[in-house]
Amino acid sequence: MKEIIMKRRNFLKGILATSFTVISTASVLTPLTALAKIGAKNRDDWLTTGSHFGAFKIKRKNGVIDQVKPFDLDKYPTDMINGVKGLVYNPSRIRYPMVRLDFLLKGHKSDTTQRGDFRFVRVTWDQALTLFKQSLDEIQTNYGPSGLHAGQTGWRATGQLHSSTSHMQRAVGMHGNFVKKIGDYSTGAGQTILPYVLGSTEVYAQGTSWPLILDNAKTIVLWANDPYKNLQVGWNAETHESFEYLAQLKEKVKQGKIRVISIDPVASKTQDYLGCEKIYVNPQTDVALMLAIAYELYSNNLHDKEFIEGYSLGFDRFVPYLTGEEDGIPKTVEWAEKITAVPAEVIKELAKTMVAGRTQLLMGWCIQRQQHGEQPYWMAAVLATMIGQIGLPGGGISYGHHYSSIGVPSSGAAAPGAFPRNVDEGQKPIFDNNDFKGASSTIPVARWIDAILAPGKVIDANGAKVTYPDIKMMIFSGNNPWNHHQDRNRMKKAFHKLECVVSIDINWTATCRFSDIVLPACTTMERNDIDIYGSYANRGLLAMQKMVEPLFDSLSDYEIFTRFAKVLGKEKEYTRGMTEFDWLTKLYNDCKKANDGKFVMPEFEQFWQDGYVHFGEGKPWTRHADFREDPEINPLGTPSGMIEIHSRKIERYQYDDCKGHPTWMEKSERSHGGPGSEKHPIWMQSCHPDKRLHSQMCESKEYRSTYTVQDREPVYLNPADAKHRGIKNGDVVRVFNDRGQLLAGAVVSDNFPEGVIRIHEGAWYGPVGDDGSTTGGAEIGALCSYGDPNTLTQDIGSSKLAQACSAYTCLVDYEKFTGKLPQVTSFSGPLEIGA
Amino acid sequence: MKWLMNLWQTLNKPAKYLTLGSISLTAFVMGIIFWGGFNTALEATNTEEFCISCHSMESKPYQELQQTVHWSNHSGVRATCPDCHVPHNWGRKIARKMEASSDVWGWVFNTVNTSEKFEDKRLEMASREWARFERDDSLACKNCHNYDSMKWESMSKLAQKQMKRAAEKDQSCVDCHKGIAHTLPDMGTARAPQLIAEVGTGPSKFTNEQYYFSALTKPLFFSAKGDVEAGTLNVATKVKILESKENRVKVSISGWRKQIGAGRVIYFDFGINMLTAQLSKEAAKTEGVINGFEEKEDEMTGLKWQRVETTLWTDAEYLITEQQPLWDYARTTFRSSCSVCHTQPDEAHFDANTWPGMFQGMIAFVNMDQDTQALVQKYLQQHSSTFVKKEH
Amino acid sequence: MKQQIPDMTKEIAEENQARAIVYNFLSSLFAKEVNTDLVEQLTSKEGQRFLSSLSLEAKLAAPIDDINTKLTQLNSEESLLELAADFCGLFLVDGRTSVSLYAGQYIANEPSDVISGNNKADKIQIFGELHQQMTEFLTNSNMQIHSDFPEPADHLAVILAYLGHLCLSTSVDNQINFIETYLMTWLADFTQQVKKHDAGHFYAAVAELTFEWVKLEVND
Repeated sequence: MKEIIMKRRNFLKGILATSFTVISTASVLTPLTALAKIGAKNRDDWLTTGSHFGAFKIKRKNGVIDQVKPFDLDKYPTDMINGVKGLVYNPSRIRYPMVRLDFLLKGHKSDTTQRGDFRFVRVTWDQALTLFKQSLDEIQTNYGPSGLHAGQTGWRATGQLHSSTSHMQRAVGMHGNFVKKIGDYSTGAGQTILPYVLGSTEVYAQGTSWPLILDNAKTIVLWANDPYKNLQVGWNAETHESFEYLAQLKEKVKQGKIRVISIDPVASKTQDYLGCEKIYVNPQTDVALMLAIAYELYSNNLHDKEFIEGYSLGFDRFVPYLTGEEDGIPKTVEWAEKITAVPAEVIKELAKTMVAGRTQLLMGWCIQRQQHGEQPYWMAAVLATMIGQIGLPGGGISYGHHYSSIGVPSSGAAAPGAFPRNVDEGQKPIFDNNDFKGASSTIPVARWIDAILAPGKVIDANGAKVTYPDIKMMIFSGNNPWNHHQDRNRMKKAFHKLECVVSIDINWTATCRFSDIVLPACTTMERNDIDIYGSYANRGLLAMQKMVEPLFDSLSDYEIFTRFAKVLGKEKEYTRGMTEFDWLTKLYNDCKKANDGKFVMPEFEQFWQDGYVHFGEGKPWTRHADFREDPEINPLGTPSGMIEIHSRKIERYQYDDCKGHPTWMEKSERSHGGPGSEKHPIWMQSCHPDKRLHSQMCESKEYRSTYTVQDREPVYLNPADAKHRGIKNGDVVRVFNDRGQLLAGAVVSDNFPEGVIRIHEGAWYGPVGDDGSTTGGAEIGALCSYGDPNTLTQDIGSSKLAQACSAYTCLVDYEKFTGKLPQVTSFSGPLEIGA
Repeated sequence: MKWLMNLWQTLNKPAKYLTLGSISLTAFVMGIIFWGGFNTALEATNTEEFCISCHSMESKPYQELQQTVHWSNHSGVRATCPDCHVPHNWGRKIARKMEASSDVWGWVFNTVNTSEKFEDKRLEMASREWARFERDDSLACKNCHNYDSMKWESMSKLAQKQMKRAAEKDQSCVDCHKGIAHTLPDMGTARAPQLIAEVGTGPSKFTNEQYYFSALTKPLFFSAKGDVEAGTLNVATKVKILESKENRVKVSISGWRKQIGAGRVIYFDFGINMLTAQLSKEAAKTEGVINGFEEKEDEMTGLKWQRVETTLWTDAEYLITEQQPLWDYARTTFRSSCSVCHTQPDEAHFDANTWPGMFQGMIAFVNMDQDTQALVQKYLQQHSSTFVKKEH
Repeated sequence: MKQQIPDMTKEIAEENQARAIVYNFLSSLFAKEVNTDLVEQLTSKEGQRFLSSLSLEAKLAAPIDDINTKLTQLNSEESLLELAADFCGLFLVDGRTSVSLYAGQYIANEPSDVISGNNKADKIQIFGELHQQMTEFLTNSNMQIHSDFPEPADHLAVILAYLGHLCLSTSVDNQINFIETYLMTWLADFTQQVKKHDAGHFYAAVAELTFEWVKLEVND
């Protein structure tokens, strides 16, 4: 024993004798500063913040978020609040600025086939931002603005100051010009067709107030619409007031005062909640059903001729198609039954019901996210015109009551502005070049992968010709196209063609893994901001108070791009010489000024201390009432100012896939006997998730585990179909078609009819090698280990009109997965090829 | 009187050491003491004499009131100070009197004891009153004027449209009706103040046969004097001035109209839905108001259009000499307001007839008053692909 | 740092200083990537003497050997970047070939929560209980994590540096107690994982060196 001690003593003495001290690395520890001593302990009271999932109060413990509870005014919080903590303290956080090693070594000549599966190194912010600028310089010098696409689309984290796209585009815009997008993935077809028909995008417009609908409607038709699921999240801090009205509706349904008829291939969450009537329709056949209702109304003389005459144009051009005079096919209930599987008698009864009393049509967005997605929205407007109740409370048509508190009476207060997205007037970018070399500077949002793969190609879009630019570099900030775009394997091919991809995000999304420069942004909990709460209701202003300092080396969007602007030598122009708090104060005071004399708002300091300002209740309002009252003085925004049942303007485009009036057209893929169903008989519905906002919150591990099956995204299966394939609840299933393959966890449910499965979009992409082993994933055809449905969807435009995303035109098949179950890689950082 | 001295001292301290409540309370108490002591019932404070004895109004607001319809009219009903300025419910009444005691403060400490000082403070004082009217939903007005008992038929079309919109929202009266009992403070304009600050209110003298542009949506009249409205002139619209008479100018408006309804709406050009003017039904029917010329069918809609000219009167304000400042203001507003949620499309991405649909479908989140909305929409149409040929 | 050691003999004080040097050295290797300065230092005469003095312990000889071999190969910018990529892939991201440096990812509240290397999907949230615990230790010792090192307090580099501090400020019993509770509970698992995933073998050697060193500390 003594010997050992002596030996050890000598050994240690020997070490000391080398007089070696580690000087290259300063110690990770340092004496406690007085500030930190109190800082760790102070303000452990409840603070306020908000998100798409809700507004909430947060309590900290030793500077770490401890408890989260709903904001006092949110009476119907969603359980997604349980995932909030997991968004912040997530092992998938991007901790430091990082650059893909091969890109660091070879720059724009790097091996891009490695993307999605290779080595990164940590760099400092200065290095990363300098590299970022050098890449932009190279692109602008070699290709001009058409080589750069920074026109991202999509959501972000809430907050008017730190909104990710605004910062990125303002800063990048100070360097040079770039390709932008038009439209979005959610409502691409709808927002393009409806201005021709109803004179507004409708999808994002305020709708008739719920109290008026509840008081006046006798029948409410929910067409492919699941508000009870989708109203959980909002564009701003959502406070869920719509749920109060859904509760009242449920009561009225129970009392038999309002009939709610839900037309949907699946039994939706709303159907289950309201206990309403259900009509099953074959997927993608809604137009045929609508046409048959119209035929029934017309042939029985039940349509409102006076309204059609006084408020619309082109009915006479539509009738020959309806009756079959134009194409030899009368759109009868019997004709529709064959396509839609809705019994002729049910269609007849539905038609009668619609004109028997006040009928409110509430359309969901799903049916326009398919090939020819313009048609169901147009035809629904025609149907509403024939019913003749547009502009009446509780009648007419809405395309937004499932979205962001639309229909909750708005307070009428002015909302705060935001940090400017555009470069200030009069300033010139460093590369002041607007020469897109004959290519378009704006492309339809969902066609960018097409453009990368086929630069120079000319396509039709909304009456114009679009020439694809030759895109060499992409920038994404708070943006995950590896969720929202279709067909992963096609995306991989496109990304191999890009010289440089920059991604700024909170966690390692698939988009980050396919990037060259990856920069860490902090979450909303780690910065100060300001937001509306109540979304469209604009119920009040919310202080988004910083809970914790930015984790690791992450920074707020404001700080990231202020630093980037400094690299560009334009810091002052970027910030206008203002700090984060200067901006917050300005946004607040501008809002206070706009509300002066109408809404009482305290001084900023008081507001910040209180956490919110409440604007109070709003007054009920009816959409299109002014048009109905005087269509001459209050015309619609259509070419004629009237509802356009037939559009001469669209007719003149001479598109084969979007004609002068709404038309039933067969799809490239359709289940239930349609094209392609012999090979892949199952229609996959990839609707908005129930437990996320798109892909946001999928990474929140603890919360995710409340709904995953064997760590996989659930795939909802019909019992008979599952049994036929030897699959039971809890199995892992391989879903596949010719475009890709994924693994998902089986949830067998009667809510899903034969020939239909559902996988919620927003499930993170996590490719693994074809054999399911732990290596690989970058290759074309890789298996998604978690269950991202866009591994399987089609990347085609809805039509020559909208060129919108068509994710819902998608056939698949599935089988029980019997191979070695691979680890889920969706929530990983970059993966190494050889490991 | 020692306590009174103490109170004086308290009042003489800089306000930042006192809460607003304590200033108001003591000032209110002081006011009553100066007036005549505590033994007066609250109701006694609700008379004109009481108000003007302290509220320094004898020379200014009180005299202004006497010039208005609220003082003298054919029905013989008169609105006195407390009718408008003291709330009709007790809780608010007390609160209001506390608030008013800051006016006493003003009198005691000479902040508004001269005409100049009063004018300097007028906007501040008026703003406080307007804010209070808003808070009370203009109850004071509605005691006599009621939306429900308004005779809509006898209003002009424009008034009807605006009143109905206001009634729907139960809007506060002073939102629009400011400066009706006292002189309006110098505040530029109540409508679109930022826009007017940018483009100005226009020249005071006009040259006949010259073109001018409307800086706001303006009422049109049949004659130089009468108040019968003939319609509205849309913002940023080019008109030719034919003659000036006192506060009005006679303008010539030309454009095209659709042959639907009464043909009351005049647009910028054939087949282009850019609003120029909307006339009342009466104006449209009145012989000689609208002069029609050639007709053409618009292939895009199948509607017949007719070229028209009309000559009407409008107030000689908010008519400016150049259109560009309007477009500059609209461009800035469009770029900042429409990029809060998404990147704003290029102006030339859509044509003139598509923009109204795109714009109207997106304004739910945008804070623009109606004049600015109309201006931005017109800006977008005027700079759309219809007029600006550009690759996109 | 206070170095009040009145009741210790000079010898023990020297030993503790030596141990503190080793802990700080190991801490620095896990704190960040190897840079040119460190390579120069370690390949210098003094550095080599230091490493060879460590390799006098038989169990440390093999990893020191591996480290030395790697050091001689670090002769270019690119080779350093490759090593930095190893560090990044192992320690700065979370994935199928990464290894967490956070003790809290290994030690959880309940025994059933002990996380095995093969089941990384079950990882718990970072900045958890152990971060809180370590923060408290640091605060009580009048220390905090350097602002240039924005990591949770249960990071291995922090634990090792804190041990370096303990060597100079508390009784050996306390030190051993701390090592057994906050290092020995997970270091074996950690080392095994690094060895499995580190294709470059440098960090496998560093992890082994650390593990063997700490074992010596508690065993001897």
